[in-house]
Amino acid sequence: MTWHLTPAQVHAYASHAVDDVTAMSVEAHLMHCAPCRTLVPADQEWIDRSWADLRDVVDRPRPHPVERLLRALGLRDGTVKLLAATPRLYRAWLVSTVFVLVCALFAAHALPKGSLVFFLTAPVVPLAGVALAYGRGVDPAHTLTSITPMAGQRLLFLRTCAVLVPAVALCTLAALMMPSPTTPWTAVFWLLPSLTLVAGSLVLCRWVHLSLASGAVGLLWLVSLAVLGSADHTTPLSVVAPHTQPWWATALAALTGMLLLRLRVRTT
Amino acid sequence: MKLFRRTRRRVPPYGPESPDPELLAAVAAGESGALEILHRRHAPWLRARLRYRCSDPDQLDAALQETFLAVWRNAGSFTPRPGDTDAGAWLWTIAIRQLISQLRKRANRWIADSAPEPYETIGDASAEDMVLLNIEHGPLGAALHSLSPELRAAIQATVLDGLTVREAAQILQIPEGTVKTRVMRAKARLREALT
Repeated sequence: MTWHLTPAQVHAYASHAVDDVTAMSVEAHLMHCAPCRTLVPADQEWIDRSWADLRDVVDRPRPHPVERLLRALGLRDGTVKLLAATPRLYRAWLVSTVFVLVCALFAAHALPKGSLVFFLTAPVVPLAGVALAYGRGVDPAHTLTSITPMAGQRLLFLRTCAVLVPAVALCTLAALMMPSPTTPWTAVFWLLPSLTLVAGSLVLCRWVHLSLASGAVGLLWLVSLAVLGSADHTTPLSVVAPHTQPWWATALAALTGMLLLRLRVRTT
Repeated sequence: MKLFRRTRRRVPPYGPESPDPELLAAVAAGESGALEILHRRHAPWLRARLRYRCSDPDQLDAALQETFLAVWRNAGSFTPRPGDTDAGAWLWTIAIRQLISQLRKRANRWIADSAPEPYETIGDASAEDMVLLNIEHGPLGAALHSLSPELRAAIQATVLDGLTVREAAQILQIPEGTVKTRVMRAKARLREALT
């Protein structure tokens, strides 16, 4: 740069007192000359105000990728926050779910009757997630959330959905990798029993803590399988055989109906 | 949900005297302090310059606000030319685009928002620029003085501000075809006056 603007020229420019051509010249020079730019008079009060406004936006915490995904799906802000804050939906829980399923798959491939292991675990895995999704003792923020208007049934169902979706997705993925030749329809044999167990524990949790309810239901499932397995002419597989699916569907519908009825009673 | 722990990028060191590219690198790493320094450094002249294109102070401030928010979000896309320690041209590109979108919002809300074009530094040192830098000292000043205000405005928008014909049409609020003919006529006049 061979020449510089005088402070008087810059002031005249900044106060809008120069003609068009001079303004063009000054602008072309300012674009490339940082020292001259500092001559432009700055209204300190305006700068502070402008920066304060700007900082309001800039300092907002950036939403988590999961929050952004949920928001993109059309959920409201409050719901998104609650879903994202579901305890036990942490990495540890997901990692352990994957670990259990991988073990079950390994057993199914390696052991002669190993696919039984998978049949036993697949319905219980989502249940375990639900058991740890809500309630005193498992949610570090339970004391806080319990006094919000969202608390209670509504939050419980939200959290349950938040846990069920990834758990069911993982189980489906694992079921598709089972050794026996399965079509997508037979691979989801465990889905209805699993949902029924979850619904059962939700119904139960009206009277007992959710973790206790889920534990009881899960235990019931395992015990009944064990009893069937030890009996002579039945196998545990008959519980999830195709002809039992309508029964599971009926049970699920009944339990869901109970839940909805209770929700209706509570809200009205 | 702690599915992914946010990877914390290393923040390059910066201070009030740092050159623009370093500050922008810090902004890209999430440092609002660097943005504040940039704001202090560039907001006054950007505001003075935008004031020549828009007389409404509210819209002006809104455009500046959006400009620095765009810097906050897009600081990573700034690629300095080697040896260049100044982001003035890049900032101006963003500012004038934001002003246009502000004016468009106010003027005709029914026009669907087209996707914004990516910010690239305009006002690269072109032949026109080299001439413009010496407006006061060359024969161009006199030639520009002799142009009618409409032609001068068209030249200013397309050459000095580096806008496309479409953007120039929006900020001048005339049809695109008129911008084209005015620029052609202005250039012919200037050629006549300068030869």
